[in-house]
Amino acid sequence: MDVPPLEARAALDTVEKSRLRVIDEIGLPQWYWWGLALGWIILGWVTDLNYPWLTAAATLVFGAVHSAVAPRVINGRHRSNQLSVNADIVDRHLPALVLGGLIILAGITVAGAVAISADGAQHPVTITSIFVAVVIVLGGPRLLAAVRRRAVRSSARR
Amino acid sequence: MITAQFDELIHPSTRLSIVALLAAADWVEFSFVRDQLSLSDSALSKQLSTLEDARYVRVERPTNGRRRRVHVRLTDAGRTAFRGHVAALQAIVGVAQSRNGEAQPR
Repeated sequence: MDVPPLEARAALDTVEKSRLRVIDEIGLPQWYWWGLALGWIILGWVTDLNYPWLTAAATLVFGAVHSAVAPRVINGRHRSNQLSVNADIVDRHLPALVLGGLIILAGITVAGAVAISADGAQHPVTITSIFVAVVIVLGGPRLLAAVRRRAVRSSARR
Repeated sequence: MITAQFDELIHPSTRLSIVALLAAADWVEFSFVRDQLSLSDSALSKQLSTLEDARYVRVERPTNGRRRRVHVRLTDAGRTAFRGHVAALQAIVGVAQSRNGEAQPR
């Protein structure tokens, strides 16, 4: 079949447009961020109760629940139940990026709580956890938006 | 290694959009394809039947709760054909660009 170059160019644009539609679906479900934020606040509140065994138990439960849920969604390929994005399209470092962010936020929670506690606040961990929860809810989707922009740039280079 | 192979079955614009969408995903819900490409149920079904007959796509109906779901996925043969087709299109554009480059006055 003799295809004119302009038609071939238009067909490649069609392919790219479809690819961008799928890239737009990269992300983590909204419930993940809200659940994480809620869990963070609860863990902070439990810590402020000053029962070390309860804090340890709550941390274990938080970690176990996150470990059970995260592997299914943290790869960014299942933001909705409408499709599963191909692994080739998503940055393979995304899980490390999200987990790294959570480790940094855990550090910020501890440091913030120590600082606020030194200032004489009554519920230092709860206060810091609420701040971190807001960062999670607002920052998580922004992080994924940046990952999508990166995927678009990398798709354009292909 | 991808062999450039123009595929007349994939090439029509609507079918190309469908296959390209499926190529970027493991599976896609029927309604997602329909909404993204602004197609009617019957138009999409017709295109999918053609692709299914060529063994390029597989339509699955997973039983998950009460909601009826229809997943569409590209088969290995479909993925290979799509990659070959894209390579063929790129080759056509590449040849034209190099010809234009040679024809440019210095």
